[in-house]
Amino acid sequence: MNSILFLILRRMRTPLITLIVSYAISILGFTLVPGLDGQGKPWHMSLFEAFYVVSYTATTIGFGEIPYSFSTAQRLWMTFSIYLTVIAWFYAIGKIITLIQDPGLRQMITMSRFARSVRLLREPFYIVCGYGETGSLLVGALDHKNIHAVIIDAKQDRINELELQDYQSPVPGLCADARLPEILLMAGIQHPMCGGIAALTDDDQANLAIAVVVKLIRPKLPVLCRAENQDTAANMASFGTDHIINPYELFGEHLAMEIHALGNYLLHEWLTGVPGTSLPSPACPPTGKWVVCGYGRFGKAVIKNLERENIQTTIIEADPDLTGCTHCIVGSGAQAETLLQAGIEDAVGIVAGTDNDVNNLSIAMTALEINPDLFVVIRKNKHFNEPLFRKFNADISMHPSDIIAHECLAHLISPLLAQFLAMARSESNAWANQTIGSLVETVGEQVPETWEARITGEHAPAIVNLLGHGKSVSLATLTYDPANRSQNLPLVPLLLVRDKQSILVPELCTPLGIGDRILFCGKHAAKSAQPLLLINRKVLNYVLAGTDEPEGAFWRWVTSLRSTSKL
Amino acid sequence: MNLEKVVFGFFIVLAMTLNFGFFIGDMADPEFHHPYELFAAIIVNLIATVLKFGDRTQIGAIHLSTSLVADLQLITAAIVWAAVSGMGTDMPAGTMVSIVSLSGGAFLANVTSVVLLIVETIMVRR
Repeated sequence: MNSILFLILRRMRTPLITLIVSYAISILGFTLVPGLDGQGKPWHMSLFEAFYVVSYTATTIGFGEIPYSFSTAQRLWMTFSIYLTVIAWFYAIGKIITLIQDPGLRQMITMSRFARSVRLLREPFYIVCGYGETGSLLVGALDHKNIHAVIIDAKQDRINELELQDYQSPVPGLCADARLPEILLMAGIQHPMCGGIAALTDDDQANLAIAVVVKLIRPKLPVLCRAENQDTAANMASFGTDHIINPYELFGEHLAMEIHALGNYLLHEWLTGVPGTSLPSPACPPTGKWVVCGYGRFGKAVIKNLERENIQTTIIEADPDLTGCTHCIVGSGAQAETLLQAGIEDAVGIVAGTDNDVNNLSIAMTALEINPDLFVVIRKNKHFNEPLFRKFNADISMHPSDIIAHECLAHLISPLLAQFLAMARSESNAWANQTIGSLVETVGEQVPETWEARITGEHAPAIVNLLGHGKSVSLATLTYDPANRSQNLPLVPLLLVRDKQSILVPELCTPLGIGDRILFCGKHAAKSAQPLLLINRKVLNYVLAGTDEPEGAFWRWVTSLRSTSKL
Repeated sequence: MNLEKVVFGFFIVLAMTLNFGFFIGDMADPEFHHPYELFAAIIVNLIATVLKFGDRTQIGAIHLSTSLVADLQLITAAIVWAAVSGMGTDMPAGTMVSIVSLSGGAFLANVTSVVLLIVETIMVRR
């Protein structure tokens, strides 16, 4: 802000001095030029009168000849001063207007406004670089969870779009190149409340640059990066980027998970969804022979994962040399003969995975004409084709933006959630089904909230106090309703982390220890009620003992008297 | 030699000297204090203020603030003069004293400004 003021002052020097000098000359002239008063006696204007006359003349207000009619000499001087001062005024005003319209100055003003609104944030926030499809999905979900976001995007129209969005909390956005360290600093990577940064631009190199800058300036800040190329991903991993998201790899994994462990997949989708939305019913991909059209990044990831599940695949690729495909059927997949050659008649599923939406739809439609029982997996590339895909209604539509946004959410909400999901992936399908069963029982069919509770002096003083007195508190304590101890809050503990040890879906009788971190999942009401148990000693006491303990010394004494007399 | 420095120094010193010229003399006697001198002092002070705009250094900020003080005092003096002389009667002696003492305050601010200018020059030693 300061520098803007100085810039304005510096540019205004010449016009201001011109104005002062022109005023001085005119005023001086008026006091020197002889005039006549009402009685025809010689009269000279005082300095103040001259200043008054010049003021209303220079600003083109023109009250007339005050206090007496001017003499010819005075009118001569007036004519001169009009041109002198009015021109000086117009020059100054013109300069001010040019200054306001100066793009450099405007950019400076927007930047300093943005920096100030970030500085003033007093709640945890995340920086999102790139407000494209993925970014807007992620910011929307974060906003839904009452987490603040700060946005940087290189395109002005996306920032304009952001201003039109109706978010609960203000989301500061800046149109700038996020690769510049200065911009990232402005966005708050050094801010104590900054919880992490997500580099989601569609340019791998830009994401890489952001990760490098953040890891150099503030190495401990979690960095999530989108990377579509293996090389970039490896590069990012080499200097400790916390999480690298490859949408194609992720989709491949998800598809594999859907085929062999539907429960795990459901659990994953459920916990990373936007709270309040209902769970989509899962598709159940069949096992058998699959035809994959397009051997690009998407196709490769799908085939890798399908082959890991021991599923036989046939590849159709238009340009095998470019994609490095060794044994495939050459063709676009949109023609019936290519599909027949690939054995579409006895296949169970088809993956339309080229980078062209129209081709993908054409492939899927042709394939369905030949074999109507096919299971169709289709890759969506552009958001504006959404109505077409909705109309087509494939069994699974893969949209990179959705996948990245889900994955980012899992990591941004709580590091524990990401840990839980990673551990859950290695569990059996039966375990996942059982967990989902117990979740649905307590939480209902809606997407639940997930949050983390820490047993530390800062976050849970009441519990730490009790533990400090040598009393044992079990995990079950945290599930009681503070308003009525006979009822339970609608929540389920998912993960308990103690030192290096993590317990998946801990039993309710597990005793708590200082330093524990617990991941809960439950309804919104439970999330807002639970902190009372952690912080308020009285509430905790009521929940544990069922009585309200007397607070003051006098009533404590009376109670102790009563209890001894009963004995 | 830098022309900018010459102009800058010229206006700052001129602001002080004009201010001094108006201030010196019997405080109550209007004979010693000509209105044109006050007018010239105000104009030169205003120009000096504008010349100090846009310097981001610490010393530049102090420069600007001393000038603003001088402007404030001199303009107040001019307003008092204009207001009282408009009454049509002769100016009471007390009014002249307050006008001159206001300009005396402005003179102190201008002296500070010149001292700063000298300090800056000595510091740079070029």
